[in-house]
Amino acid sequence: MKRLLITLALASTTLASQASAATTITFWDLLGGGDGARMQQLVDGFNKSQGTYQIKRTTLAWGIPYYTKVRTSSAVGQGPDLAILHLSRLSGWAEAKILRPIAPAELSSAGLKGSEFFPKLWQASSYSGQNYAVPLDTHPMVLYYNKDILKKAGLLGADGTMTPITSMADFNAALAAIKKTGAQALSFENGPTSYMPWRIWLALIAQQGGSIEQGNKLTYGALGTSTLNTITDWVKNGYAGKNVDYPTSVAQFVNGKAAFMINGVWEAPTLVDGTKAGKIKFGYGVVPFPKLYSNQSTWADSHAFVLPNNVGKAADPDKVKGALQFVAYAEKNALVWAGGGHVPANLTVANGAAFKAMKPNSDYAAVAAQNVTYDPQGWYSGAAGPLEAASAKYFPAAINGQLPVDRAISLFETDAKKLLTSAPKP
Amino acid sequence: MTALQRPAQRHGPRRASTVWGPVFFLLLPFLAVYLLFFVWPALQTLWLSFTTSGLTETGPWTGLSNFRTLIGDASFWSALGHTVFFAVLTVIPLTAIGMLMAILTRSGGRLRRVAQAVFFIPYVLPVSVATLIWQWVLNPNLGVVNAATGSQIAWFSDPTLAMPAVAAVTVWWTIGFNMLLFLAGLQNIPQETYEAAALDGAQGGQVFRYITWPALWPTTALVLTLQLVGSFKIFSQVYLLTGGGPFDSTRVVLEYMYDTAFTNTDAGYASAIAVAFFVVILLLTLLQNTLLNRGRA
Repeated sequence: MKRLLITLALASTTLASQASAATTITFWDLLGGGDGARMQQLVDGFNKSQGTYQIKRTTLAWGIPYYTKVRTSSAVGQGPDLAILHLSRLSGWAEAKILRPIAPAELSSAGLKGSEFFPKLWQASSYSGQNYAVPLDTHPMVLYYNKDILKKAGLLGADGTMTPITSMADFNAALAAIKKTGAQALSFENGPTSYMPWRIWLALIAQQGGSIEQGNKLTYGALGTSTLNTITDWVKNGYAGKNVDYPTSVAQFVNGKAAFMINGVWEAPTLVDGTKAGKIKFGYGVVPFPKLYSNQSTWADSHAFVLPNNVGKAADPDKVKGALQFVAYAEKNALVWAGGGHVPANLTVANGAAFKAMKPNSDYAAVAAQNVTYDPQGWYSGAAGPLEAASAKYFPAAINGQLPVDRAISLFETDAKKLLTSAPKP
Repeated sequence: MTALQRPAQRHGPRRASTVWGPVFFLLLPFLAVYLLFFVWPALQTLWLSFTTSGLTETGPWTGLSNFRTLIGDASFWSALGHTVFFAVLTVIPLTAIGMLMAILTRSGGRLRRVAQAVFFIPYVLPVSVATLIWQWVLNPNLGVVNAATGSQIAWFSDPTLAMPAVAAVTVWWTIGFNMLLFLAGLQNIPQETYEAAALDGAQGGQVFRYITWPALWPTTALVLTLQLVGSFKIFSQVYLLTGGGPFDSTRVVLEYMYDTAFTNTDAGYASAIAVAFFVVILLLTLLQNTLLNRGRA
């Protein structure tokens, strides 16, 4: 007991001396689960690597709660020094001046160069000529498959990988063949208020050469209804379950019940870790979301570092410097982050041998990252933004047979048009 | 008459002056918190409801324009309809079952305290835990209920079942508190009344009808009023279990207000919804109080 007290006393004094010497930088994110653990690893690594700055991390609930908190707190000057933002929300947030632009000199003094990043991501990090973010990753939607079930259905090649699927007819035929084996063909999240139907819909429209929105007008035309019909048919034909919430959709695949899972790359670690722990007994593979129409577009988003614009509180140059040094550290060590399934935004890491050796990540990373399509730009858009929320009301309902497809589309359009024509509110 | 009243009048103010000083002093911390965190935000909400404000910036004053939009807003009226539906599903059951539980557990023998504890335990849980339990139990694909009954019912995803399912979870979660109120009410009925009734030959249902029920009426009126306000303020269970879905079929007024303020960042309109809803609840409570206390004064 005495020894414990002495250790505690020693620990507290060393902690206190560290804290007083270093500048504390507050950092907020929305990263739970494995992503949260990997971010903590980066934060701990940076804090140990030098004595000048200490990153103090706070994790908030994903989605609307997080974005509300960052937005309102920075509006009263109580926001963090550094935060994570989905790049899909950048246009709306930069316009509303919630983000502080990062000057080229600030970037270069931390050793960050735009040319080190995927050009598409670097472009998405600026708004009207100013840089607002440093991208950390791309997390595209991919296709997971169960080798054991595919083998039974005759869909596994001699090399042990999936027979390529190159058209919607291929995909539907594969689903039908799997159904005959008695296994569930496909799992994807489709419970009420789920975002996955929007992501699939967006990707399939892009694959057919369509787009969602241009100049605040909806532009997908007849593709909107026909594409939602295609997704609905997967459920109607008994290939995928109804009212599947997110944990269930993952469980169906991880428990070996479903042959395919459409999900983001962030579930890759569940499979890697599950196999290591001996909980997953089947062979699995991950491929880029297949080319079902004329191109291989897939939905994606990116996590990026941003500096919130704290109103009435001028940014402390020392804190900005420290925050960007941490960002540079995280980029250099993005391989840790890639363990979460994400494709590193940093070209040096993404093209490096270490990442190429990382499985299954390197099986999907390059192709998926080349073909990403993002949410349309605008204040209403992006991760957990109002446009996605509107789709999440009606698309799952159509997929679950609670609303006719054309009714679901017209209800979505009514909500979407209201958003597209209204002015953004800061 | 006057002679009797005068000393009392002379006494009154002096006593009040000696008492009010310390009373006010002791009330001060509460008053400060109340004014700062309740009255002031409420007034600000009222003011915001006349503007076109965003989540973080105050917009220009637009007078009654938000309220004019609200009158023609089908989403608001359907949300109000869903709230009323939820209240219908919960107010009477929560009162009736709460009373029944109190009476039953009071008359029960040795298991009485165990039963009371068991009925009360759900109320101790935070709403997030209570809803998570039921999300798993009623999960359409992996849940215990569907596995045991072989049904495919998607409890929280079916537009006709979702609201009754949310109501059922609410009854399970909050019934313990009402039971407690009724237990306290039962405690206040003197044992002699029951003895006298027994001597007069009252039996079973008669005892309840002529003694317990009338004696419990003040408690019942209180529970009904509290429950009506509570049920109208439904938010957390809906937010956590259905998010207002499927396609808004369980979107209650507070969920609509939340969506408007935080998803669409339209705080001005959300404040208008809040103010209108406040008026609705105020009127309802007044109406209910008048009805419950009719002929009793």
